[in-house]
Amino acid sequence: MIIERGRVLVVDDEEIIRDSCARALKKEGHIVRTAADGHEGVKVFQEFHPDLVLIDLKMPGKDGIEVLKEMEEMDPDAVKIIVTGYATISLAVDAMKKGAYDFLAKPSTPDEIRLAVRRGLEKRNLLLERAALRREQEKIRRNMISLVSHELRSPLAATVQYLEVILGGMAGEISDDVKEMMARCSERLREMLDLVHRWLSLATFDSFKMSEQFEDTSLLDIAREAISSSKPLADENGVALSLEAPADLSPIKGSKIPLEETFNNLISNAIKYNRQNGWVKVILYGKDEEIFAEIRDNGTGIGREHLDRIFDEFYRVDGRRNSPIKGSGLGLSIVKKMVEAHGGFIEVDSTEGRGTTFTMRFPKAFQGTKRVQADVGGK
Amino acid sequence: MGGQKRLLIVDDDPDFASAIKRILVSAGYEVEKSGDVDEGMKALERSRPDLILLDVMMENFDDGFNMCRDIKEDDRYRDIPVIILTAVTEVTGLKFSPETDGDYLQAEALLEKPVSSDVLLDKINELLGPEKGSRK
Repeated sequence: MIIERGRVLVVDDEEIIRDSCARALKKEGHIVRTAADGHEGVKVFQEFHPDLVLIDLKMPGKDGIEVLKEMEEMDPDAVKIIVTGYATISLAVDAMKKGAYDFLAKPSTPDEIRLAVRRGLEKRNLLLERAALRREQEKIRRNMISLVSHELRSPLAATVQYLEVILGGMAGEISDDVKEMMARCSERLREMLDLVHRWLSLATFDSFKMSEQFEDTSLLDIAREAISSSKPLADENGVALSLEAPADLSPIKGSKIPLEETFNNLISNAIKYNRQNGWVKVILYGKDEEIFAEIRDNGTGIGREHLDRIFDEFYRVDGRRNSPIKGSGLGLSIVKKMVEAHGGFIEVDSTEGRGTTFTMRFPKAFQGTKRVQADVGGK
Repeated sequence: MGGQKRLLIVDDDPDFASAIKRILVSAGYEVEKSGDVDEGMKALERSRPDLILLDVMMENFDDGFNMCRDIKEDDRYRDIPVIILTAVTEVTGLKFSPETDGDYLQAEALLEKPVSSDVLLDKINELLGPEKGSRK
């Protein structure tokens, strides 16, 4: 839906201004309603559902800022433009903070008004598109949850459960030969379950939702946790694991479990694609406003031709079906998504036969006073 | 065999339920299966089980949750331990656990499907206390 002709509400106590605004906008085909004060403005807003509102700042009774605030609460996606004769920077900033999209100085020519409204409606279109996208995304998410979880996972779960019974000897004795085959069946099905699980987590991942749970998180704790859970795998593969980090590392804004998964994933890759007596180092440090986390190994390395695609979904460096190292080709895509959801960035550097370094960088948690979430930009 | 413990499985997947039943029976428990919430509630009224194994997503998305709440809000059944078995893991965005969803999910335990027989039996033993079923 693209709005060119919008529903516009003009709230101004001066009749001349109201009328001239209305005239200028009707000329462009907009549907215009007017209100003579703040109270009336809010009332009309409620039943007219405008795409855009022009609000006079200085009005007797309910002033423009108050009107703006109330309308912002009722419909944050309606674009609000403040109109005033006393344009000062501090006033403008205050209005912007409270949700105004633009600022129009009085007196304005009809062309200026039309231009401001046209731009405002472009913004309105973007907001509506975004809302539609989110709704669509939410629908897909819901369908995915019921479809994938129930229709794909359930049969797999039931089958694996039967195999568990048979392998456990609870359905009578079976020969070692049959047992061996059943065990393979079970393992393959578990791999498939794991793939479904990973794919689901990637497909339904909602960075917006995750960021609501962000809190000050120390990457040092995360790294320690990840290292201790990767220790058995490292021992099994004869790979040494170590951590280098200052004790006073600044926290980042993040969510513990996804960050741990991210570290686990990179560390276990570094262990698997390694050699006997190889090493994996996790190195953390702060630099300027960022925290860096490197996962460095001296393992097999990654060929130059793969580096560009390594974060792509389902891409595997060793694409052979009989590859000795199992993987879904989703691990690094998930890692990238998680890092980006934390406002971070990940890159990889590798030399075949020498080793690989993944470098993640995250913004430090903001320690000062709370930042004002004003959309002063957007122009 | 008077001391044999009775368990109730409520799950709409007959295969999953019968696999679980095998595990429980071979461990010495007496087991009843129900294919949906209504049947499950009837079975509950008919004869009180010592423990309930409950699927989350049956006909509706949240059948298991609702049944769990009904059980826990009913004075007659409140103290029957409930184990939730689910294929819906936290990655689906439905993050739930007995710790975080206190009021809504008052189950004593939550296990993911498929479940290893050892994990399942250990959990049941733990919830039923030291006097077990007639497990060897």
